Amino acid sequence: MTVLRTFGRTVAAEWLRLVTVRSTWVLLVLLALAVTALGALAGYDAAQGAGFDAPARTAWDDARFTLLFLLFGLVALSCVATASDYGTGGIVPTLQWTPRRGVLLAARTVVVAGVSVLVGMLLLTVAAALVAVQADGLGLSPDVGASTLGDTALVVGSGTVMGVGLGLLTRSTAGALVTAIGLLVVLPLVLGNLPYETLRTLAEHLPGTGAVVVVFGEGPSPETTAAQGRLTLLAWAAGTLLLGGLRLLRTDATR
Amino acid sequence: MISVRGLTKDFGRVRAVDDLTFDVAPGTVTGFLGPNGAGKSTTMRMLLGLDRPTSGTATVGGRRYAEHAAPLREVGALLDASAVHPGRTGRTHLRIAARTNGIPLARVDEVLDRVGLTGAAGRRVKGYSLGMRQRLGIAAALLGDPPVLLFDEPVNGLDLEGVRWIRSLFRECAAEGRTVLVSSHLMSEVQLVADRVVIIGRGRLVADAAVGEVVGAAGRRVRVRSPRADALARLLAERGEVTSAGPDELDVVGLTEAEVGTAAHEHGLPVHHLAEVAGSLEAAYWSLTEGEVEFRGEDAAAPEQEVAG
Repeated sequence: MTVLRTFGRTVAAEWLRLVTVRSTWVLLVLLALAVTALGALAGYDAAQGAGFDAPARTAWDDARFTLLFLLFGLVALSCVATASDYGTGGIVPTLQWTPRRGVLLAARTVVVAGVSVLVGMLLLTVAAALVAVQADGLGLSPDVGASTLGDTALVVGSGTVMGVGLGLLTRSTAGALVTAIGLLVVLPLVLGNLPYETLRTLAEHLPGTGAVVVVFGEGPSPETTAAQGRLTLLAWAAGTLLLGGLRLLRTDATR
Repeated sequence: MISVRGLTKDFGRVRAVDDLTFDVAPGTVTGFLGPNGAGKSTTMRMLLGLDRPTSGTATVGGRRYAEHAAPLREVGALLDASAVHPGRTGRTHLRIAARTNGIPLARVDEVLDRVGLTGAAGRRVKGYSLGMRQRLGIAAALLGDPPVLLFDEPVNGLDLEGVRWIRSLFRECAAEGRTVLVSSHLMSEVQLVADRVVIIGRGRLVADAAVGEVVGAAGRRVRVRSPRADALARLLAERGEVTSAGPDELDVVGLTEAEVGTAAHEHGLPVHHLAEVAGSLEAAYWSLTEGEVEFRGEDAAAPEQEVAG
């Protein structure tokens, strides 16, 4: 009961921490502008007859690619929200006020990933709606919508949990961001195009590749399935959170 | 009650805190003194669960800090006033603290008022001076109205009014029965406000006693200056302990000013200066921590204080 009450209080505090710094709002506004613009442009092109050639195509399908932008933006948010505590020294009062580090870890993860998932689903819905209002033939099928929003929750949720883990592991905003960009963009791109089988296989198991597979339904090799992509994302989320959590739980609270 | 038992902390091969044991009792202000690198901040961080002890225990009210369900209601602490997100306002900083421990938000305005920050509470912390940040940290420490208070260098950056205010705050808190532990390098400040001192050097306990005892141990002495200091030294050495304090100057222990003056007069020795030098916490500190200092400049010398009159 005490732990649950402490957890509830810590979640409330973490929410306040997240929404009372300017960087959170700057990132969210920029992301909203970018995804809205991309949705509007995709809708414009779809209205001109461009886009996917798929049976039972819906506006969700045309807006789905924005999920990758949502992923990058919200992972950045999670890295900044977690690691900035170390950069500013705020980790000292944070752990003074919540010395039960496991509770802090759980609350921070829930708040950052929860807010990110909700924002991700909202913005993807906005992008799909912008496609639907411009392209007459493309509707907002509830079934496809549910599946797309489910994937959004998984991709954004696992990505931001990974961001929290990287923030705790590196204790540096720049370090967490660089590592996340490496894992999501640079390494999949570079390793996946090298003429070395082992490195290409490694690239297939990176979170950036997993996200692309989930979003587009196909990966660098024909054998890669969306289910594997989901598993890859979940494994990276669990692994980085475990390592970051161990660093938080077992080591001194240095700035 | 703060209780430290066999507390030890190693950073790699460096032993920062070495088998430290002491208690801090309620209703007292206890100064926590030691040279730079002595382990004061590390000890305080271990008390607050920020650093993990290599061995030993540090408890507050018989429990480890992290075992308290609402720690801010048990222990208020100011460790590093600059360790605050600069983009938040002072009030938001305290509201977050209040939320974590289930403290009513009305209390935030109360402590802001108590530390004199009400007017600046809506400004971002990056616009605060060091003194204002100290006050914000003190407000956070007072937020849960805790029975135990820890302050690490609390007068840093405070102006004269702030120093006087914090001095009275410590005394008030002790008078209310709270346990107050204050780390400071300003000996005169500690001597003014503390009932007891815990002095450490190179992580080890050097002294744990009432301020009066420590200062008394440093000893009062008589400082006398004479152009015939050698002859006066020979004379006084028969009655007390005499050491040279500089050109033509002697320090005499075991005799009063009157006895030194009379002895010089009886033997026709001229005296140009005669005064009692008080024992001070600073002098006691220097003598106790000699050899325990890790970082020292070239001309560090123990200061002293002559008694007026």
